[in-house]
Amino acid sequence: MRSRFSALELSRLDMPATLPPPGPELSEERFEASRATLFVDGFMTHFIKVGGVLVIAAVLGIFVFILFQILPLFQGAKVKPVQTVQLPEQQYSVMGVDEWAELPFLVSAEGKMRFIDLQQEGKITEIDLATVTKAAPAAPSPAAAEPETPADSAAPDAAPAPGAAAPPPSPPARAALFSAISYNARKQELALGSPDGRVAIVAVNYTTAFAEDGSRTVNQTLEAGEWLPLGRPGAPITGIDVGDASDAKLIGVIQQVGDGAEVHAVALTRKRTLLGGGALTAGQSHDLTPHLTGKPVQIHVSSSANAIVIVTADGEVEYFFKSGEQFELRQVFKPFGDLADPTVASIDFLFGDVSLVATSISGQNRVFSLYRQAGSNVRTFGQTKEFEPLPGAATFYTSSLRNKGFLTGTAEVASLRYSTTETVRWQEKMPFTIARAVISGKYDRILFLDKENRLHLYSLADPHPETSWRALFGKIWYEGYSHPEYEWQSTGGTDDFEPKFSLVPLIIGTLKGTLYAMVFAVPIALTAALYASQFLHSRFRAVVKPIMEIMASLPSVVLGFLAALWLAPLIETRVPSVILMVVAIPLTAFGFGYLWSGLPFGARRLIPAGYEFIVFLPIVVLVTWVCWHLGPAFEKIAFVVTDPATGARVADFRQWWPQATGADFQQRNSLVVGFVMGFAVIPIIFTIAEDALSNVPLSLRSASLALGATRWQTARSVILPTASAGIFSALMIGLGRAVGETMIVVMATGNTPIMDLNIFSGMRTLSANIAVELPEAPVNSTFYRTLFLGAMLLFLATFLVNTIAEVMRQRLREKYKTV
Amino acid sequence: METTNKTPRRAKRGVGEPFIWVTAVGLSLGMLMVVGLLALILVNGTAVFWPDRVEQVNIRAESPFELRGKKVFAGRLVKKQDRILQDIEAREAAERAGVWPQEFQYFVGNKDAYGLSFFYIDGAAIAAREQPRDIAQLERLEYGDAFGYFVGLRLKDGATIPAGDPNFLPQLRALNREVNERREELSRIEKGQIGRINHQLQRLALRQKEAGNDAAALAPIEAERQELQTRYETLAKTAGELRARQSENQLVYRLPAGDERTLPLGQLIDFRFPNQLGFFERTSVFLHGIWKFLSEEPREANTEGGVFPAIFGTFVMTLLMSIAVTPFGILAAIYLREYAKQGVFVRSVRIAVNNLAGVPSIVFGVFGLGFFVYFVGGTIDSLFYSASLPTPTFGTGGILWASLTLALMTVPVVIVATEEALSSISRGMREASLACGASKWQTMQRIVLPAAVPGILTGLILAMARGAGEVAPLMLVGVVKLAPNLPLDMTFPFFHLERKFMHLGFHIYDLGFQSPDSEAAKPMVFATTALLIGLVIVLNLGAILLRERLRRKYALGAF
Repeated sequence: MRSRFSALELSRLDMPATLPPPGPELSEERFEASRATLFVDGFMTHFIKVGGVLVIAAVLGIFVFILFQILPLFQGAKVKPVQTVQLPEQQYSVMGVDEWAELPFLVSAEGKMRFIDLQQEGKITEIDLATVTKAAPAAPSPAAAEPETPADSAAPDAAPAPGAAAPPPSPPARAALFSAISYNARKQELALGSPDGRVAIVAVNYTTAFAEDGSRTVNQTLEAGEWLPLGRPGAPITGIDVGDASDAKLIGVIQQVGDGAEVHAVALTRKRTLLGGGALTAGQSHDLTPHLTGKPVQIHVSSSANAIVIVTADGEVEYFFKSGEQFELRQVFKPFGDLADPTVASIDFLFGDVSLVATSISGQNRVFSLYRQAGSNVRTFGQTKEFEPLPGAATFYTSSLRNKGFLTGTAEVASLRYSTTETVRWQEKMPFTIARAVISGKYDRILFLDKENRLHLYSLADPHPETSWRALFGKIWYEGYSHPEYEWQSTGGTDDFEPKFSLVPLIIGTLKGTLYAMVFAVPIALTAALYASQFLHSRFRAVVKPIMEIMASLPSVVLGFLAALWLAPLIETRVPSVILMVVAIPLTAFGFGYLWSGLPFGARRLIPAGYEFIVFLPIVVLVTWVCWHLGPAFEKIAFVVTDPATGARVADFRQWWPQATGADFQQRNSLVVGFVMGFAVIPIIFTIAEDALSNVPLSLRSASLALGATRWQTARSVILPTASAGIFSALMIGLGRAVGETMIVVMATGNTPIMDLNIFSGMRTLSANIAVELPEAPVNSTFYRTLFLGAMLLFLATFLVNTIAEVMRQRLREKYKTV
Repeated sequence: METTNKTPRRAKRGVGEPFIWVTAVGLSLGMLMVVGLLALILVNGTAVFWPDRVEQVNIRAESPFELRGKKVFAGRLVKKQDRILQDIEAREAAERAGVWPQEFQYFVGNKDAYGLSFFYIDGAAIAAREQPRDIAQLERLEYGDAFGYFVGLRLKDGATIPAGDPNFLPQLRALNREVNERREELSRIEKGQIGRINHQLQRLALRQKEAGNDAAALAPIEAERQELQTRYETLAKTAGELRARQSENQLVYRLPAGDERTLPLGQLIDFRFPNQLGFFERTSVFLHGIWKFLSEEPREANTEGGVFPAIFGTFVMTLLMSIAVTPFGILAAIYLREYAKQGVFVRSVRIAVNNLAGVPSIVFGVFGLGFFVYFVGGTIDSLFYSASLPTPTFGTGGILWASLTLALMTVPVVIVATEEALSSISRGMREASLACGASKWQTMQRIVLPAAVPGILTGLILAMARGAGEVAPLMLVGVVKLAPNLPLDMTFPFFHLERKFMHLGFHIYDLGFQSPDSEAAKPMVFATTALLIGLVIVLNLGAILLRERLRRKYALGAF
């Protein structure tokens, strides 16, 4: 109607109107709005609509933002081809790569080491290992300790200088420089075993230079040790591995002696001199052959240089542990003993050297970790994970140097797996036949070498391998644990630490805090609401409600401070008093009410209806005081134990509780938290429940009273059932507040993520966890996103609870309308 | 129930009467909890400033208690309580004797001499407690208070005035005033002028970085830098001289146990004889103490001095938050109530907004950190402050982000309150306005909004109260235990939105939980708590009163 009016008026305004002189006579124009008014009105309409929608969208955008922060947690790995380089036709035995995956190398069977510069279209720098390694001299020469000068990568054919400067007197025969080779990617060391029973270690040092513009160039240098004789002199080495713990190396070799094989191990120690590293000197050689139960085919030495794992031809794994100078055979087990063909296709350590990843001939993939098995005090291997089987026997294996990921697969299929979460991050049939593969040090590139000697570079995007539904909400068998656990432990002391991101202890902690808060708050809040709405004299209402609302406004940091620094030390020694109070106060109330209401009518009039709570103010104070002082006496009667330290008999609840229940007693415990959180929850429940109760239509109440029901009968049978939905919604909203409470929990508990419901121990809630840990979490790390996930859970939980409550309340309002 | 015409002498008990008493106790408990808590905080928070008497305690020679090898000390009695005897035999012995062992806690001060501030002693070990008239309490810049007896003044010219000299006290007072004035002068120079020069030097360094190798641009920068450097050196020299003068005179005092100690007068803030003060003098000391608490900066890892920066930070943050929250909250509420087509969608939006008020504050903190600090702040840094990277300017917590985070947290409160206020305005008023030919916006502007102002204000005050008392989200987005500068000062551009700030609530958390001596910090925590609670309650009471008035107004105008 208005718009038609204004259109009319607009057309009029366009005319050069001669305005009638202002006078008493009425004219049409008097009723017209000015153009400015209409413009402002239209503008404001649009402004408010757009602005309002934007504000609401922004506020609800919180949910979307947090959602986008946590989505990457649930994504798998993305692997994409980047580059392919054709290499010279040759048999390659070992592949390695630098941290940036720019300068991988391959070692050919003849002992040629080729560095492939992927930044320069695969330009190859070739180094002959024979010229680098030196034959063992009679006496250690100082020259051997000198680091090699960098090989000039610009001149592909330039032989390294030191080899040329000091030509090796007698390197092992050219055609067979080595008969066994292994590469320790973590320490970037090649271990070579010669056909004449000698070993040499060549360190591959990558150096990274950063230019002014931020670009980098990676260069390589080789640092070679001497050929050292090892084990049985002259016997060809068929398997070799080296473990390097900075100051000590452990070399294990399999040597062929006649038809049989022997296993020898030797520890090398590096003598430090003033001018840097000294030469490696071999320690005592150990012959492990007598302990063997079968023919050794594979040998692996742990990076900590104290363990050797040998695989025999019939699928047995033997675990030797070096304690002091002696090797002891700790364990012999068959990883695939339950299968028809127990042969081990591949087995190797995972990053951290606590777990072995094994694959069987049939493609079964299992992880064995070291832990203390029941009744034993040494750590032995036990199966902790079983992966989805591979389509066939594994032909390659490479582990990440950053986390518990590993890449394995058959000739056709590559599969990236993550040990902690027992998940396959990525698996694909490759368009070539895989010969070797390696993961770069930053866990962002994968290199494949195929059977046609092509090198394929793939990019790997897997920022959050540590999480999965199972890791976040399920039990995980972590390394070193003797059984699967729910565990939250975000950081550890070492690089190879497995972050433990189970949210379950935090959820349990949240529920525990909420439970005790509700146990304390609900009875008080609901009885208070019932009394205030039904029985309280109306003159007090104006006072009572604001006081309860002030309680709602108390900052939680204040409550937390009082809980931790005032209340916790206060009731630590007075738990029996608290128990007495919990029992005595309601009993006193009931008893007093019973006696009083039995008094003669005249006496009863002394306390008019609606004044009862005033009477109770001094009584409650008195009962509290009495209980407080009776507490020690009660403790002496009920909670006497023998102090294990002194043998004296003491009345001490703090000692009685652990001895009686086996659970902890801590000063900052759930009792304190529950009590103080009550201050936050009681007023909320009270206010909403009181509203619901006092909004019950008066007609219902009057009808009930008129029919002769007492005020209690009316309240219990008429008011409470009618308002039950409102009371439920009050409880829900109170619950929501307790779930999200942060500061009280941060301050008044020990913040230990434990999983029990013991009232005298602390907990860590989701919210406290965020407050404590988020400031330290690196942006966009798994840790950071997991904390966002915690926030999301809190958001969803409270939002859900509040929505239920709100819907209930609206239903209730409809109901009242119809009555 | 039977019905009778005459009242019986013993009426039958009404059904369920005892249960009513049980419900009454719930309300009583609730009331007592609130009142008790407020009383506890108020008493403990103000008792800090009340100058208590100082006792000198002689310890029995045979008892194992001693303080630094001495059997005598002086201090303020903090607590006296019955000991809890867990050991049954000891308890029975005490019961037989009829004497319950007590323990005393004294604040003994002299932290530099004793290495501790609080001393616990068994009542049985105390031989005598007295209140010597001439014991002095010295408030010092470092190590907290000292208790002792004056010995004399050692002046810079070598002269000494013994404590017995009639000139001693006037001279001490005069010198004390002098050093206090000089200390203020020093702080003006160091914090004000030198601080400003440092700020300018930093900006120059940034400009220099931006200029790169451009010699023409570098020359004036270098010249300016030289000039600032000269000014800085002059000021630093003046400050050095003033500082040297602070310690030229020395006060000699004696600990109760007898050892003499000297204190450079520059370290002395104030002194008094607590056992000589009358009631009015004590009241004056009390009020003076409160004033100093409110107006001074913290000292000694926040356990001494005042909380002015925290008050200021809380105030500025709440103000910024209100500026951000008011227009947006009101806009959204007007849209929802007046302009949006009412239906299922708007109803569910309303429920959602309503429920956001119940989402834990820490979730908003997480959002603030992820969105404002890392995303928006990081973008601003890379666009406008790239010269100072990797040191973040806006890409780290600051007062702006904290205010915005809290604004987001409290916007539902304002929306809900405004909507309620709008909906409570009678239809008659709107229709009257529209019937008079006013446009929709004119009706809003002239009729509806003015009438809704008290309701909107109520919401705003509640939002401010919630914002002022909230700590958890702030911990993530920019609050610190000690901010070197206020977010508002005299250096350009005056309002430093990127600065970190102090906050009363976080001050409580930090003092109570991060300070090395939480027992010594307790009085300060209580005082800060009382202040914060006072602030929050005043805001809430204001909102409640406003709402009551509003209700009455509409109750009258309902017809």
